[in-house]
Amino acid sequence: MKALPIVLAALGVVLLVRLGLRRRGRRRSSPLSMPTRGLRGTGLLGITGLVAGREIRERVRGRVLRVVTLILFAVVAAAVVIPTIHTGTTTRQRVGVVAGSPALDAELQKLATTVGLPVELVHEPDLSAARAALSTGKLDMVVDGGTRILVQNPISTADTSTEALYVRGVATALGAQETFARAGLTPEQAAAVAEAKPLPVESVNPGKQARTTEEATALIGVILIFIVLTQYLTWTLMGVMEEKASRVVEVLLATVRPGQLLAGKVAGIGVVALVQAVALVAFALVLAKVVGSGLVHGAAPLVVVATLVWLVLGYAFYSWVYAAAGSLAERQDQVQSLALPLSAPLIFGYIVSLIGVSSGNASLLVKVLAYLPPTAPFAMPTLVGFGEVTWWQFLLSVVVSVVCTVMVALVAARVYRTAVLRTGGRVRLRELVPTLAK
Amino acid sequence: MAGLLEFDGLSRRFGTVTALDDLSFSVPSGQVVGFLGPNGAGKTTTMRAVFGLTDLDAGSVRWNGMPVGATQRRRFGYMPEERGLYPNMLVAEEVEYLGRLHGMDRSSAATATKQWLERLDVADRATSKVEALSHGNQQRVQLAAALVHDPEMLVLDEPLAGLDPTGIDAIGEVLVEQAHAGRCVLFSSHQLDLVENLCGSVVIIDHGRLVARGTVDELATSGPRRLAVRVEGDRQGTWAQGIPGVTVSEVDGGEVRLVLDDATDSDVVLEAARSAGRVTEFVIERRRLSEVFREAVGR
Repeated sequence: MKALPIVLAALGVVLLVRLGLRRRGRRRSSPLSMPTRGLRGTGLLGITGLVAGREIRERVRGRVLRVVTLILFAVVAAAVVIPTIHTGTTTRQRVGVVAGSPALDAELQKLATTVGLPVELVHEPDLSAARAALSTGKLDMVVDGGTRILVQNPISTADTSTEALYVRGVATALGAQETFARAGLTPEQAAAVAEAKPLPVESVNPGKQARTTEEATALIGVILIFIVLTQYLTWTLMGVMEEKASRVVEVLLATVRPGQLLAGKVAGIGVVALVQAVALVAFALVLAKVVGSGLVHGAAPLVVVATLVWLVLGYAFYSWVYAAAGSLAERQDQVQSLALPLSAPLIFGYIVSLIGVSSGNASLLVKVLAYLPPTAPFAMPTLVGFGEVTWWQFLLSVVVSVVCTVMVALVAARVYRTAVLRTGGRVRLRELVPTLAK
Repeated sequence: MAGLLEFDGLSRRFGTVTALDDLSFSVPSGQVVGFLGPNGAGKTTTMRAVFGLTDLDAGSVRWNGMPVGATQRRRFGYMPEERGLYPNMLVAEEVEYLGRLHGMDRSSAATATKQWLERLDVADRATSKVEALSHGNQQRVQLAAALVHDPEMLVLDEPLAGLDPTGIDAIGEVLVEQAHAGRCVLFSSHQLDLVENLCGSVVIIDHGRLVARGTVDELATSGPRRLAVRVEGDRQGTWAQGIPGVTVSEVDGGEVRLVLDDATDSDVVLEAARSAGRVTEFVIERRRLSEVFREAVGR
């Protein structure tokens, strides 16, 4: 029930974005007559939509997008499929039994079922024949009555494979039966003892339950957000710089307002980013369904939706900052010197969230970062993955992010307007202070 | 489509540098107006002011009596000094896109783009990337971008710089054609001979101030009148010595160049020449625009 409001909030954001796009699309397609007669019909969204349309067209046409998308699809496919391949390829174990009995066979099969290991019991006439078969690899292990177990190679205590678990389980169970027999227990008593279950352990604080699937999904989501944000924010930065360097911005600003140009660029690149991310997520979900991955089970879809919502919000927040920074530079080297300080909060939020989601524990720092717009795109999906966020906390973080994005956009537009037409070297922020202070 | 672009008291300082100093002049439609001045005189700042690309400390730019705003600017065409096109875009797509930013619908922009690329002889490069074009062809594409939306007013900053004679002819022809069609055309150039050929009138500024303006004929014939006279058999020009109100400025191979003061009629000179021998040359000289320019800016 806790998840429902979060899903609704996320769907609301997605619907708003889609509605905005549809309106832009309609405006774009509404024909105007020749300029001197039809200019009054072109509103803010019309021009912004045109600029965004150009960005989308040029980005989609570029080879970089295709290559990066292919790589991302391959990475997502590997992340979804490889874990299922690992669990599904356990080979059938051939277990040699010397001096066996129906009870021993039943016990060995029961233990195999418990650890999820398919086994085939092979009855050997004597120990030497069993040893020979084990040496040649015809058998994987040998159970010598109820007395000992032979394996090909020593098993490390750190080995957590299913085969190792089975060997240890058989050794423990048969050892216990041997002890029970020596203690004089009847088979019924021994069976009753063997069926003993550990007492439940409860903590006094409401702890999280095992949510490995959700956490794994959050991990993939955080990585996806980082990759997509890094790629598209760099495009925004470079795109603005290139417009300034090629002086085309002077031609554009002769007829387009700076805010329209900036918003169109941010929106255009953002749409490409969102479409790519949605395609990746859809691909991951379909693939997960096909291969039976845990990605589509439990609350994992909720984490997926949260990832998309914060991808949009993260891009919206950072894109203005990167666009304004791009207007300060007119050369590649100037852009590089700007990119590092800009990406610092982004990398910080990513690393802290990554450590949190990898360690299986949402630290206090992650919980704080989930409410700061620069780091929330990573920290909040992490908290959703841990199931440690309520719908109102999620919504609060969204509202904080949206409000801060609007404020950042207003400042960025002023920086852009002032800096983008200044040429002859990198514009220092302190040079803009008098203009911004007006 | 008659219109009038007015610059009224423009002032702009960049730190300690005065770019524009109470500059006022107007650009009528129907003729190409040349905008001249030495480097750093304030031409580009003036042109950028039309499009709001530079802030003004004082003054205003008006179109048909109204302050120029975003709506008016979308009916203007602009070709900046430092050419500006997306290098990676296809030529036709780029021109069409810029047309659409000026409010054209898709089909009108496509049609106009095709027409202008053909008119400027770059139609065969319509599907090339802009960066693949030569400097001259990029210049033609830039002009197509300024014209595609059928603007009422054209502002062109150094449109002829770096062009070969064919390119100059092609672009010059279009500018004159646009002016004759009733558009307002203001363009700057340092190629004064071309300006003299293309322009109906000229505005000259220096240090952000207006120093001369008028039609090319007015400027060429203003100031002291000049005569070039040749009298057969007198290679030293002795016949011209001592004529009241007349100064000999140069004698070159029998051709005598004279400067007349305001009170002296050219008939007086003709009489003196005839009395000295057979007159084989008698020309009332116009001042070259380059002379007018140098005189106006004092350099």
